[in-house]
Amino acid sequence: MGALALVPLGFVVVYTALIGPGDAWDLVARPRVGELLGNTVTLVVGCTATCTALGVGCAWLVERTDVPLSRVWHGLLVAPLAVPAFVNSYSWASLVPGIHGFTGALVVITLSYYPLVYLPVVAVLRGLDPALEEAAYSLGHSRARTFARVVLPQLRPAVLGGCLLVSLHLLAEFGALQMLQFPTFTTAIYDQYGSTFNGEAANMLASVLVLLCMLILLAELRLRGRRRYARVARGAARPVEIIRLGGGRGPLTLVLAAVVALAVGLPAYSLVHWLRVGSSTEFPVGELAAAAGTSLGLGAAAAAATVVLAMPAAWLAVRYPGLTSNLVERSTYVANALPGIVVALALVTVSIRAVQPIYQTYVLLLLAYAIMFLPRAVVSVRAALEQAPVLLDEVAHSLGVGSLATVRRVTLPIIAPGIGAGAALVFLAVSTELTATLMLAPIDTTTLATRFWAESSSVAYGAAAPYALLMVLISIPAAVLLGRHASLSSPWEAPR
Amino acid sequence: MTRLELRGVSKSFTDVRAVAAVDLTVPHDSVTAVLGPSGCGKTTLLRLIAGFVVPEAGTIRFGDVVVAGDGRALPPQQRKVGYVPQEGALFPHLDVAANIAFGLPRSQRRSARVGEVLDLVELPAAFGSRYPHQLSGGQQQRVALARALAPEPSVVLLDEPFSSLDASLRASTGRAVLRALRVAHATAVLVTHDQDEALSLADQVAVMREGKVVQAATPREIYRSPVDAGVARFVGGAAMLPAAVRAGVASTALGELPVAGDVGDGAAEVLVRPEQVLIGAGAATVKARVDEVAYYGHDASVTLTVLPDGPVVVARAGGLDVPEVGATVTVSVAGPVVVFP
Amino acid sequence: MRRAPVALTAALLIAPLLAACGGDDDGPFITVYNAQHEELLEEVAPIFEEETGIEVKLRSGKDLELANQLVQEGDASPADVFLTENSPAMTLVDNAGLFEPIDDETLALVPPQFSPSDKSWLGFIARSTVMVYNTDALSEDELPTSLMDLAQPEWASRVAFSPTGADFQAIVSAVVATQGEEAARSWIQSLADNGTVLENNLVVMKAVNDGEVDAGIIYHYYWYRDQKESGENSDSSQLHFFGDQDPGAFLSVSGAGVLAASDKREDAQAFVEFLAGEEGQQAIADSYALEYPLNPAVSLEPPVKPFSELEPPAIDVSTLNSEVVVQMMQDVGLL
Repeated sequence: MGALALVPLGFVVVYTALIGPGDAWDLVARPRVGELLGNTVTLVVGCTATCTALGVGCAWLVERTDVPLSRVWHGLLVAPLAVPAFVNSYSWASLVPGIHGFTGALVVITLSYYPLVYLPVVAVLRGLDPALEEAAYSLGHSRARTFARVVLPQLRPAVLGGCLLVSLHLLAEFGALQMLQFPTFTTAIYDQYGSTFNGEAANMLASVLVLLCMLILLAELRLRGRRRYARVARGAARPVEIIRLGGGRGPLTLVLAAVVALAVGLPAYSLVHWLRVGSSTEFPVGELAAAAGTSLGLGAAAAAATVVLAMPAAWLAVRYPGLTSNLVERSTYVANALPGIVVALALVTVSIRAVQPIYQTYVLLLLAYAIMFLPRAVVSVRAALEQAPVLLDEVAHSLGVGSLATVRRVTLPIIAPGIGAGAALVFLAVSTELTATLMLAPIDTTTLATRFWAESSSVAYGAAAPYALLMVLISIPAAVLLGRHASLSSPWEAPR
Repeated sequence: MTRLELRGVSKSFTDVRAVAAVDLTVPHDSVTAVLGPSGCGKTTLLRLIAGFVVPEAGTIRFGDVVVAGDGRALPPQQRKVGYVPQEGALFPHLDVAANIAFGLPRSQRRSARVGEVLDLVELPAAFGSRYPHQLSGGQQQRVALARALAPEPSVVLLDEPFSSLDASLRASTGRAVLRALRVAHATAVLVTHDQDEALSLADQVAVMREGKVVQAATPREIYRSPVDAGVARFVGGAAMLPAAVRAGVASTALGELPVAGDVGDGAAEVLVRPEQVLIGAGAATVKARVDEVAYYGHDASVTLTVLPDGPVVVARAGGLDVPEVGATVTVSVAGPVVVFP
Repeated sequence: MRRAPVALTAALLIAPLLAACGGDDDGPFITVYNAQHEELLEEVAPIFEEETGIEVKLRSGKDLELANQLVQEGDASPADVFLTENSPAMTLVDNAGLFEPIDDETLALVPPQFSPSDKSWLGFIARSTVMVYNTDALSEDELPTSLMDLAQPEWASRVAFSPTGADFQAIVSAVVATQGEEAARSWIQSLADNGTVLENNLVVMKAVNDGEVDAGIIYHYYWYRDQKESGENSDSSQLHFFGDQDPGAFLSVSGAGVLAASDKREDAQAFVEFLAGEEGQQAIADSYALEYPLNPAVSLEPPVKPFSELEPPAIDVSTLNSEVVVQMMQDVGLL
């Protein structure tokens, strides 16, 4: 799988080599590249910072304070996962004139991506041992100081994992940023492919992007520090203390309401608006249903395939930690940071020569999805596997249970929620994927994303809106699954 | 259950000899504690018995069955060992009853066996429907033992099962676990670094050091007749005094002491246990200064410097008559002492 | 119960594969890599299918993404016909030597200036460069007479354009072709310094309509289509057509080509002939697309400015978007 994931990387490297070092340098050392580098880095840094602030803040309010209706807020705060980033930016761009450039990108990307930080943080906040915080209070720390010195450090792995996903998504984000007119490496790569002679320039930009991705992966490894393996439950945890907000309760509830209104309400309003305004708004029920069916089917199949492919990499990384297994796991991340067009063209080039019979079939398309979205599955499956330490296998063996039966009776049930979460993340990505779908799907395949693109690029906003709405609707189950995964105080709690 | 026998068992991990030619016999229906500091190889020894690790040399027998050795090793799932790891490691996705029934054949999972072993570990039957995270640490350990005992294993292996519990829970859980092992007539190996645990719970204590079993004997013998100064220091409080032995009498800073056993003349070290050091008794003439007193109510531990300048010894004083810090007292040593040449 | 998800997953995995096998039906068909708007083809292709019994299978995508895909596929490409919005994508594929010449009878259906001299592809519809302006910000007598005027200081910070798309690059190459490289370079430099760079033509039109900038450079049909759709992004603006062979009156041509590697070249040629023929062109004219048919026998309905009133500069379509233009735009930091 690692090798498959490296096909796009190989494509970029080979092309860079073909250009030759001199020309390659000329293409990289341009003022435009410096500007793009600046843009990309600022956006990644800015968005991870704002996503962290928003994600941690909301998670704390919902989990640890007496903010009213916290369950409802939790559901609503996860909801942006169901709204594709480009639909979100399409909504913002059409309702808020002048929302573009860095500010626009920062606002829209943050509102689209913050759940990636929010979810893992919620999960950790629920599992925290209150004794540690009590110890800090007893040492005379204020509430704020306790949060900063005791709670935050424990959130670190969750926040880092979330930030990793945010930054990798961001490196490859195209649709949303293009609509907001904030040029990054990825939008520039699309632009370069849009200029007749510039396949090489595009690949050079892609190679810079690969380097950026590797830097981020390295940084995450360094910051993560020594990994803490999940402990098997150690005694009944006391319920955490719920912090009374007092006079801040009203205003802070309003803050949550504002986040939800901007992240979910605004795109919803915009879609409804376009459904009502556009003269081309019609509901071709048959076409809508067919496209929705294809998107659902492809999403589900790709989710299943990707999770299956993610297992070995995650397994290696958790059970046999070391340089090799780290490399294998990390290599799967690179494709995720490359723009869809680079991955798709790489697969066109390789597959039409190597495996022509499956060219432009669903098999190849699913493989392409798997390569692009493998990290999402690896992240979740890996986290789940860390909940199932080798010790449990040993106990099962000592009780006379063989290896296969142990996988069936112990490992799989424990990692099932993580597998579900990984599958949901992949599903969300696949159901909105455009470029690879256009290039690699069997002919006549129409998905919600391709229909949305076709309609919105011909100025038929109204006609595009139903497809966007359906994209949101079919994403809801996956978002709910992700929300539930975090909401179980322990994923293994008895069914109520 | 069956007798457990290890002969010449060795295992290395990249350069480090973890277990070196260990011989050990655990008789049927008895508990042996393997005691040693961390890194002495005791956990590896346990994993060798369980089958998680395969020995390079030597033989492990459960009764007449060779489970490792003679060029073959049974995988753990075929050995019928009951394994209780450090933190219980209950299956988090299963309730207590399902955890206990995990190792039972399908036909027996709903039988009365679950209730029986719950009873054996002194937990109420209603616990069956609880989940591991709803149990206290001590309860989790008992469930882990119940799970290990349920399939009636040949040997029960406990890997520091009480180390993660707090002190009060440790003692009571330890006794409860031991009662359950006795009732089940289990052949058990308990790995621990806690000498009190080892001495108080086990029928036999095997002291390990650097991969070797240096002494295996009853707790009383280990305490009273350690094979060397290292074992003496590791098991129980000990002051080692330099001495000159002549004709069964050792001359030390604490006076002339009778020697236990047959020891040749010459320079030696003498082991003095705290309970042998008496304060202000009879015709004592050796003076000492009280440096530190740890008062426990039932008794007290008194640290003394023999005047004028050492050595330092610890005495166990009765709870009713404890000297003040700084006071000068007279000390003597009761009974024969163990001597290491 | 536990088996249900497994069965469902398996079904989902297998269903599309089966569909893929079952989908290849019996009759003759051609595969079209289509960078034209899909809806346009959905209106036009069925007529061709009805007349010939040849099914038209569409793979829709963007101009240069599909062009790059064709280049990567090379001889193994499953495509028979390639349709684009702008000519540069055709040039990219042509430069890779992947087209076979269009039949002479077909070429004769449209004026020769809209196809390249090597006859490797055919222009079948065109869009006109226009300036869209906000009617509150500009009155008719303030409008420039030439696209070149926009480089003047008085237009600083008042004009928006989208340099990254193939659309604008075609316009720049028209400037190079008509004004020479030197003039074009200084023009693009001032525009880069003074103009407002936006992401695409729709955004340019919206920004003008919302009054964020006074004017913008786009193609005519964006504005007419928005008028037809809702007017939401065009009601506060008007179009200004340049005349007199000004580079601002440049017509960008949508091309159709037949792939040399195709094993259905006859059917492919027939389809291109249909697209340029009277019937096909009429269907295009009647569609929502509002692009100009190039067959002289067919014209667009009002309110779209009639094709005959346009005064485009004469430019060889195959020379557009040369390396010079890309280099020039990179030098001033637009690419």
